Amino acid sequence: MKERRKKLSTIKSNSPSKIYLTGSSVIHFFNNWSPTGGKIFKKILISGGPIIALLFLCIYLSFASPYFFTVGNFMNITRQSSINAILAIGQTMVIISAGIDLSVGAVLALSASISAVAMSYWGLNFGFSIFLGLIVGTLIGCINGIIITKGRIPDFVATLGMMTTARGISLILTGGLPVPSHFTATALKGYLPLGLIWLGSGDIFSIPVPALIVVAVTILGWIILNHTTLGRAIYAVGGNSEAAKTSGINVEGTKIIAYSIMGLLAAVAGIVLTGRLNSANALMAEGAELQSIAAVVIGGTNLFGGQGGVIGTLIGAIIMGVLGNGLNLLNVSAFWQRVIMGLIIIVVVVFDQWRRRRFVF
Amino acid sequence: MSPKPLLRLEAIDKSFPGVHALDHVDFDLYEGEVHVLLGENGAGKSTLMKILSGSLPRDSGRIILRDTPVEIANSYQAHLLGIGMVYQELSLIPNLNVAENIFLGRLPKRRSFLVDWSEINKKAQQILKKLNVNIDPMLPVNHLSMAERQLVEIAKVLSLEVKILLLDEPTSALSERERQRLFKLIRELGERGISIIYISHHLSEIPLVGHRVTVLRDGKKIATLPVSKADEDTIIRMMIGRDLKEQFFKEETNPGKVILKVEDLEIKGKLHQVNFTLHEGEIVGIFGLLGAGCTLLVRALFGLEKMDSGKIYVNNRIVTISSPADAIRLGLGYLAKDRREGLIPPMPLLSNITLASLRKISERSLIKHQKEQQVGKKYLKELNIQPPDLARMVRYLSGGNQQKTALSKWLCSGSKVLIFDEPTRGIDVRAKSEIFQIFNQLTKAGVGILMISSELLEILAMADRIFVMRRGALTVAYQKGEATKEQLLKSAS
Repeated sequence: MKERRKKLSTIKSNSPSKIYLTGSSVIHFFNNWSPTGGKIFKKILISGGPIIALLFLCIYLSFASPYFFTVGNFMNITRQSSINAILAIGQTMVIISAGIDLSVGAVLALSASISAVAMSYWGLNFGFSIFLGLIVGTLIGCINGIIITKGRIPDFVATLGMMTTARGISLILTGGLPVPSHFTATALKGYLPLGLIWLGSGDIFSIPVPALIVVAVTILGWIILNHTTLGRAIYAVGGNSEAAKTSGINVEGTKIIAYSIMGLLAAVAGIVLTGRLNSANALMAEGAELQSIAAVVIGGTNLFGGQGGVIGTLIGAIIMGVLGNGLNLLNVSAFWQRVIMGLIIIVVVVFDQWRRRRFVF
Repeated sequence: MSPKPLLRLEAIDKSFPGVHALDHVDFDLYEGEVHVLLGENGAGKSTLMKILSGSLPRDSGRIILRDTPVEIANSYQAHLLGIGMVYQELSLIPNLNVAENIFLGRLPKRRSFLVDWSEINKKAQQILKKLNVNIDPMLPVNHLSMAERQLVEIAKVLSLEVKILLLDEPTSALSERERQRLFKLIRELGERGISIIYISHHLSEIPLVGHRVTVLRDGKKIATLPVSKADEDTIIRMMIGRDLKEQFFKEETNPGKVILKVEDLEIKGKLHQVNFTLHEGEIVGIFGLLGAGCTLLVRALFGLEKMDSGKIYVNNRIVTISSPADAIRLGLGYLAKDRREGLIPPMPLLSNITLASLRKISERSLIKHQKEQQVGKKYLKELNIQPPDLARMVRYLSGGNQQKTALSKWLCSGSKVLIFDEPTRGIDVRAKSEIFQIFNQLTKAGVGILMISSELLEILAMADRIFVMRRGALTVAYQKGEATKEQLLKSAS
C-alpha cells in the first residue's frame, strides 16, 4: 500500500506540498471504487471505463477529421461543454445522496433572468446582481431539499414541480422576452455589462474563462466529496440513509445542503450561459437537466446513490462535448447526432455496468 | 428409510476467483430423511445447496438422483427433478398476496391467457390446508409476520411437488413457538417421504429435527454422523478444526455505578411503564417473544422512536434523546437486529468504522485521512476483522465480520452504553465466540451492555441480570444463575 502511494505521488506531482492532495487522495478516490488492491493498470480498468471510452473517441476522431486535434477546437469543446459540466458536478452530489434534480435547467434560467433583469431594468450594480442570482439559485435548491425531506415526497416529483414553477416565474419576470432585448437595450439602459460577457465568452491566456470556472467547480466539488465530513455524510446518506441516521448523521440536513449546492451551481452556470448568449431568457437551458444527468451517468456514478465522484462526471461531460463536436466536424446531421448521442449513453453505461460486475466481485 | 440413497452427490467441486469453495464433496440423502448440513460461514454449505437447487453450475462432480446422473442447469430444471429450496432471506413478493406468491410464475389460466383467479385461491387454500397452515390466501404477504411468511414460502416450494426440500437457516427469524411449529411440520413432511436438507447455525436444534449430520469446513466434507453420535463438542471441533474451550465464557466483573436509568417509559399501546437500570461493566439481557417490545424499547432509548412519557438518566443526569445523534453524544451505541440497518454497503470498511465519529477524525469539517487510517487500522486489529483491507466495501464481508465492523463503529465513537439487538444472528460459531470475548473486554473496561437475545443459552451464560418482557411490559428480573430456560420461556409467554 505504502509503495503504491509513493509511486503515484512521484508520477503525479513534483512539489512536496501536492503529495498529500494527489497521492493518497487519488488512491482514496480509486479505493472508493474498488474493494481490492492491485496494480495500477487493474485500477484503471476497474474505475476507468469513462476514461477509456473518451480515449477511444478522441483517437477515432483525430483520424476521422483533420480539424479535431487542434488547440482551437479543444478550446471550443471546453466552452461548449462548460455549462453541462458545471450543472453535472452539482447533479453528482445530489445523485450520490440518492436524489435527483430535474429542476436544474429551470433554476439556471430563473437565477440568470433575475440577474439580468436586476442589471438591465432595475439598475442594480453588476456585482450585486450576480450575487442576487446566486442567492436565488441556492434558495430554490434549498426549497427543493426542504420539500423533499420535510414533505416526504420523492425527489423526482418535487423537482419536477419546481421545474415548471421556476420556468413560470422566469417568464413572469422577463415578460417572455430576452433580457435585455434589442428594444430595451436601445431604449433603456444598454447591453449587459462587459464583465458578464467576459465570464461567458472571454479568455485568460487563451483558456476560455468557462473552462477555468469548470475546473474550479470540479476541484471544490472534489474537495467537498472526498475531504469533508459533509461529503462523507452525502455518501452515507446515499448508500443507506437508515444506517446513516442510526450513526448520528443528520440525513435531512445533508440532503438539503446537497440540493442547495446544486441550486448554487445552477446559478453559476446561468451566469456563464448569459455571458455566452449576451442575454438571459426564461427558456434558456431547456433540457439541461437531462444532459447533466447523462453526464453523471456516463461518468460512472450509480444512479441509486452511494457511489461515484466528480472526476468521473467531468469526464462524462467531456465525452458528451467531444462527441457533439466530433459529429459536427464530420458533418453529421443534427438529427442523427441525437440518435448517436443517445446510443452512446446506453453503450457507455452498459459497458460500465459490465466491467463493474466482471472485475469487482 | 430405504437402503439406497435417494440422492448422491459425488466429488462436487466448485471454485470462484480466489476461493476454492467446494473441494470434491460427497453427500447423500435418503428418502424421508432430515439431513442437517453444518459449517462455519464460508465452509461451502450455501454453495453446495445452490448447486443442487440450480442457482450455480458445478465445476466437476456428479449428481445422481435415483441412480440416474442428472444435470441441473437452472432452478426450473431443479423443480422438474423435484428439488426445491427455501432461502434464508425468502423470495416472496411483499405486495402480492399469498396465493399469487405460491403460484408465482405459473398462474393457472383460462383459455391460455386469462388468469383464473378463483382457481388460484381454491388451490392455494388446499395447499395451505395440507400443511395445517391457517392463513388467508388473500392476505398480502407484507401483512404477515416473519414466521407466517416462512410458512408461505415453504408452501410455495412444496406446491411444486418437491421430493427434496432444501432449507437454509429457516429458524433465524422465528420465535420459540414458531420454531416448534416448523419442526413439527418437518417431521410430518419426513413421514410423508419428503427428504430435507437443513442448514443451520443453531447446534441445539439438530437433535430436535435431524437424522444425520454432515459437517463442512473450508470446502471439504469433514464427516457425516448419525445424530446420536453428534454431540455439540464433537461437532464444534469438526467445524472449527480445534477445540473451542467454552463457547460462552463470561468473565467475572464488578459492576460499577449506574450509567443508564430508565423510569416509567411509556409508548401508548406498545410499552408500559418500563423501569430498569444498567451499571458500568454490567451485561443486562432482555428476553422476550416476538412482539414483546424489546426492540421497540431499545429503539426508543436510541432516539429512533418517540416516547409518550418517561425519563431517561445517563450518568444520573436527566436527558432528552430525540434522535440518534443525541444518543450518540451521550455515549450510547446501537447494533440493530438487521445488520443492514447499521452498515453502508457500498462504502469501504474504513468509512463505516468512522461513520459515527466524524468529528474525531476531522478538523473543522476537513477529514484528516491519515488519522482516519490510523484509527481504522486500530480497530481492524483489535477486532480481528477479516480480510484486513480497509478499502474493501463492506458488502463483500461475511456476516460475522460485518457485525464486527458495526461494533467497531461504536467502539470508535467511544460508547459507554452498547445496545445489541440479537448480536449473534446469522453468525458462525467462531465469530460468535469472538464477539462474546469482546463483550468481556468491554465490560472490563467499564462499558455497560444491553443485550436483546432470543438465544436462551446465550443470554443465560452472558447476562449479569436478565429482564423478561411480555406484551410491552417488563415482567420479571432475574439475577445471574437464578433462572432456567424453562422459567425464562414461561415468564415470556
